[in-house]
Amino acid sequence: MSEGHSEVSRRRLFQGAAGGVAVGALAAGGAAWGIWPEQAVAADRDQIDLTTSHPFYDAAHPAGIATPPQRYAIYMTFDLVDGSLVTDLQSLLARWTAAIAQLMRGRPIGQVQPTRVDAVGGDSGEAMGLDPASLTVTVGLGPGIFDRRFGLSDKKPPLLADLPALPSDRLAKETTGGDLSLQVCSDDPQVAYHAVRNLARMVRDTAHTRWAVLGFGRASAGQGQETPRNLFGFKDGTRNLRTPAEFDKHVWVRDGWMAGGTYQIARKIQMNLEIWDADMVSDQENIFGRSKLDGAPLSGGKEMTTPDFTAKGKDGKTKIPVLSHIALAAHENNDGIQILRRGYNYTDGINQYGQLDAGLLFVCYQNDPAHFVTLQTKLGASDLMNEYIQHIGSGIFAVPPAPRTGHYIGEQLFA
Amino acid sequence: MSRHTARRAAVATLTAGMAVALAACGSSSNGGSTDGSAPSKASSSSKGGVTQVDITLTGGDSDACSVDTKTAAAGPITFNITNKNSTAITEVELQSDQRILGEKENLAPGLAPVKFTLTLTGGTYQIYCPGAKQELQDFKVTGSAPASTGGTASSLLGHGVKGYAKYVTTNVQAMQSAVGKLVAAIDDGNLAEAKKQYALARPFYEKIESDVDGFVLPGYKPTDNAGNLDYLIDMRESNLDPKVGWHGFHAIEKDLWQGGKITPHTKTLAAELKTNVGKLVGLTKTLHYKPEDLANGAAGLLEEVQTEKIRGTEEKYSHLDLVDFNANVEGAQQAFAFLKPGLSKIDPGLTTNIAKQFTAVENKLNLYRDAKIPGGFVYWTPALRAKDASTLSQTVQGLQDPLSKVGEKVATAQ
Repeated sequence: MSEGHSEVSRRRLFQGAAGGVAVGALAAGGAAWGIWPEQAVAADRDQIDLTTSHPFYDAAHPAGIATPPQRYAIYMTFDLVDGSLVTDLQSLLARWTAAIAQLMRGRPIGQVQPTRVDAVGGDSGEAMGLDPASLTVTVGLGPGIFDRRFGLSDKKPPLLADLPALPSDRLAKETTGGDLSLQVCSDDPQVAYHAVRNLARMVRDTAHTRWAVLGFGRASAGQGQETPRNLFGFKDGTRNLRTPAEFDKHVWVRDGWMAGGTYQIARKIQMNLEIWDADMVSDQENIFGRSKLDGAPLSGGKEMTTPDFTAKGKDGKTKIPVLSHIALAAHENNDGIQILRRGYNYTDGINQYGQLDAGLLFVCYQNDPAHFVTLQTKLGASDLMNEYIQHIGSGIFAVPPAPRTGHYIGEQLFA
Repeated sequence: MSRHTARRAAVATLTAGMAVALAACGSSSNGGSTDGSAPSKASSSSKGGVTQVDITLTGGDSDACSVDTKTAAAGPITFNITNKNSTAITEVELQSDQRILGEKENLAPGLAPVKFTLTLTGGTYQIYCPGAKQELQDFKVTGSAPASTGGTASSLLGHGVKGYAKYVTTNVQAMQSAVGKLVAAIDDGNLAEAKKQYALARPFYEKIESDVDGFVLPGYKPTDNAGNLDYLIDMRESNLDPKVGWHGFHAIEKDLWQGGKITPHTKTLAAELKTNVGKLVGLTKTLHYKPEDLANGAAGLLEEVQTEKIRGTEEKYSHLDLVDFNANVEGAQQAFAFLKPGLSKIDPGLTTNIAKQFTAVENKLNLYRDAKIPGGFVYWTPALRAKDASTLSQTVQGLQDPLSKVGEKVATAQ
């Protein structure tokens, strides 16, 4: 993956989480691969340059996956309307692709002020004057695209299928599934919202909105970023995938028309925040298997120290409880399985019981959805955390490879 | 367009009258330039007697719209458009003094080339590529060509607006008769019959309400609701002007359904309604329309569906919202039908898509038909809304969006 290039500043804004040191011409996220994790804790690189524009066309992989997670996200899924033709889908993908290219460069997708007096605007306008803000838009194709409707079943990515029912699932129909997904991420929430709004608008006669989650804060780290915290107050994603070699091994599909793409799984995970807050922090730490403050594994060391799942305390039990979240999810205990986590904290306000309605929009990428299924089957059955969370939404999508200039996302389907 | 906002199609057209439609022949150009565009061929190529003009869209740091020849002989001309890699340019039009003669939209890199063909006579036209670094380029046609058969877009649109004017007056006359039956039932104190006649009278108004919305009676200020015919006939309880009070259909609706009886006040309301509908009959005869009025009116009717009917706020007591919903859609469909012959000359793709979307909405609405209920549709109850409003609304939205683009296509310059 190539780095986002900085378009020389009209307005340049650096925000360091700890009053960060400005790094001159080096754009945010400009850390070289490989220096992580040794310098990460000492050098906080969580800085934002709103002028950053990530590449879209001709990239090795689709944007918004290996891209260092931006601060905000909107995730939305769509259903193609009854009676849509394969040409409608083709036109939708081609038009979305061109529009995404405009948006990621911080440009409008049409006239905000139309030339003709009787015209509606081509772009809704609320991103005027705003920088690209590292916007990425990632398009996913759901299993429904490959059913009988469009005659595309022979192009179906071999591992794309609806997820099986998993332990502890409490999925609601209204937050599950979809024929298409958009993962829109940006360092400016208005830039992200403008993008998803206009992309939804331009296909209203072809695709209906199905469900959406607004992520207000990133809950996963990419290369060069300090590990952020989820709404349980814990660092999330300490052992996330970071190097190109790890992505090649675990994330990118290698063969067929999907080569260079990946599989996206989204889960809307509601957190019982009031109940969590009433739990002792020592118990919370046992649930995660990490210390709350610095994120170090309970087996000792610092955040980045490899957990020792066999180390025992004086009581003869493992220091990291066997049913803790990290013990169940660790690749050491799952035949080496790893997935890229790219989640965001979300809130839907207050629920009907007067409780905070919030949680984690968990988005993960892997070259085999079965890897997620294996991990979640185990977590759903045994995770100590299950007392405090419910998986209420779910979706699975194939993410095609990045488009080449002059082409569009998913064009291989129609060849 | 919500009630009581400035844009009022009917008011505007009372004075403006019908615009004179220009034929699609050449006219002098006051805009555009040929500077800085791609090199032109010495002369255009021809295929089967049809001149071929190739337009190529390219992207990069600035998007460009290159035309391979800037002149052509009068006669049929095909414009072939290829979007090589422009993300900013999504449409190409051929204009004559800002009037669209032909166009292609939804152009995106990677899709197959598209084309449109026009018969052009001598003059200077403009190729318009919104989003390009140079948006307007002159295109010169030499010689002369006979007008194409079947009429030009402008003449067809001119014919269409006259047809629509007749549709409105006929519809309003039918409303007068239906309201007469409603008033008779109320005067008889026959509650069941009054409810039935109410349901039968409503659609006539809902088909044309965008033409009446904001209509001001002679001698009243635009801000005075006492002279606003739409207010007097169709105002809902939620939007009352306390100075003027509540009149019209919905005041009667509340008496019949919530009150459950006909009072002397109901009879007063009914008599007023009859008077006001009589005034409407007279006034609609004086209305003239421009093509964009029909387009904006149709879009306005769908906006009524989305803001009121879908939420069940129009027929709060009778739950007859789907009757009104269907009438709004029918009214929009009529306006579109009168624009269709002209619009399909300008933008056949958009015309086809809108026709398809109307069918989709009709098919959805047909699921709610029930001949046993006055008005012909099931009641739009809170329970049914909770279940079905989202799908229904999104289907209407699928129609509303392409329909909202018609106004600029059919608007005629002078």
